[in-house]
Amino acid sequence: MHAGTLCIHDNILTFLLKFPAMLLQQLINGLTLGGVYALIALGYTMVYGILELINFAHGEIYMLGAYLGIIFLGLFTVIGLTSVSLPLALFFTVLLTIVVCSAYGFAMEKVAYKPLRNAPRLSPLISAIGISIFLQNYVMLTQGATDQVFPQRFGDSGLQFLNVSMTYLQALIIIVSGLLMLSLHLFIQKTRMGKAMRAVAQDKTMAALAGINVNGIISVTFIIGAGLAAMAGIMVASYYGLVNYYIGYIAGIKAFTAAVLGGIGNIPGAMVGGIILGLVESAGAAYISSEYKDAYAFIILIVILLIKPAGILGKNTEEKV
Amino acid sequence: MLKLLSIHTSYGHIKALKDIDIEIAKGEIVCLIGSNGAGKTTTLLTISGILKPDSGDMIFEGESLKNMAPHNVVNKGICQVPEGRRIFPRLTVSENLEMGAYSIGKRQKTKGKQYNMEKVFNLFPVLKERTKQMGGTLSGGEQQMLAIGRALMANPKLLLLDEPSLGLAPIMVSKIFKTIKEINEEGVTILLVEQNAKAALRLSHRGYVLENGVIKLSGRGEDLLHNENVKKAYLGD
Repeated sequence: MHAGTLCIHDNILTFLLKFPAMLLQQLINGLTLGGVYALIALGYTMVYGILELINFAHGEIYMLGAYLGIIFLGLFTVIGLTSVSLPLALFFTVLLTIVVCSAYGFAMEKVAYKPLRNAPRLSPLISAIGISIFLQNYVMLTQGATDQVFPQRFGDSGLQFLNVSMTYLQALIIIVSGLLMLSLHLFIQKTRMGKAMRAVAQDKTMAALAGINVNGIISVTFIIGAGLAAMAGIMVASYYGLVNYYIGYIAGIKAFTAAVLGGIGNIPGAMVGGIILGLVESAGAAYISSEYKDAYAFIILIVILLIKPAGILGKNTEEKV
Repeated sequence: MLKLLSIHTSYGHIKALKDIDIEIAKGEIVCLIGSNGAGKTTTLLTISGILKPDSGDMIFEGESLKNMAPHNVVNKGICQVPEGRRIFPRLTVSENLEMGAYSIGKRQKTKGKQYNMEKVFNLFPVLKERTKQMGGTLSGGEQQMLAIGRALMANPKLLLLDEPSLGLAPIMVSKIFKTIKEINEEGVTILLVEQNAKAALRLSHRGYVLENGVIKLSGRGEDLLHNENVKKAYLGD
């Protein structure tokens, strides 16, 4: 009996010692994941804010970003740029991927949504699903159905503090996501074009009467959303090392959940929603079971829809003028 | 300055404008009166490019507006203060004004008075106290001032005003009409759509009477004020 008590004491002691470390570890993992979700969620929420349309093909842009990252970095490895300067090769990989994905985003709107601008709401939704299936199969046919490997391993080196570790890649993902969100926020709040985006979201006819090129602003919205998703795609490809043509589906649905969680149409909401989702998912995987990793997102979605359907930062629809 | 040549506009199968001819000379105030559903707003929306005419043409300073996108019409110098004011509710007062000036820089600056924010504030001092306030929180009168100020930010040559007095307190109505006169005296041509026919005709150089999408009468403001048919139908005398 004496030995037993000691054992329990030991367990409590190790648990208490481990507890903050484990929590901190999950915080880091969650922020990494959450930053990526937030970047994708922004694309959903921006498009919804302007067109009241859920762009269900948005996850595929993220998938394309992951693939294009692999293709461009592979190309730079072949021509030897990576051995000359890895940061330079990564920079050009990111740049080219964002440019190509933005072009996809731009074209997607022109082909699938613009012709349906005044159609019943179900039509663009079906069109979105069509584009999504098309892009998945297009990538499967051209890149193969098997996993593709990211050409560069970044390893597990990083910062170590007690039992908590943060790889350099995690740190980079958190910083890049944070900076992108901050820049987007400043762009929307402070620049002429950002203000025009808000004006278009509030009243398209009046925005046109004020001299704003509404179609141009809609294109810019798709381009920015696609660029952010592309960045998320590259970061995830480098983080997990593997990509497949169907990764856009689940990531897209989770990011959509994040956008709804924060309040669809609300930009800071998408950021907050993405990060909360990432944190909950890593905490759930660590403390409950990693088997249900994908289920946590949907549990959150259901709870939010039951308790506060407008989302955390969402406005009630009555404010829509 | 602006000529509408037998314009036909419809909503789906419903013909809203039939064979509309309107001419506005530089420096004029022209008003368009008529009852609800006569096609007054439709006329303004057609000029601004929000609605596309089925046939006919619109010539502004020698250039056709017929296939022009709304933002390009603004770039040419035609600004509209639409019905119901349509302030951007979740932009601040100064952001609303900035949006009015969105087209500036893309087109030649017009001669004459350069309207900028300071000048709009001179015209409507109350807006200056509210620059950081959201547009949606302003009172109706303040919103009307902001809507006019926003349109003036683009330095318009021709200002289209749709029911500027609608829903305003009488004291505010006379203030708005006074301001319209001031703006006109500074060289801005004005096309005014009003239900308040008496005040509009008094203010205007010329007027058109619109009925079921057709122009029934036109003439000098004063003459229309004394026209028996107009008196009966629109002035309530």
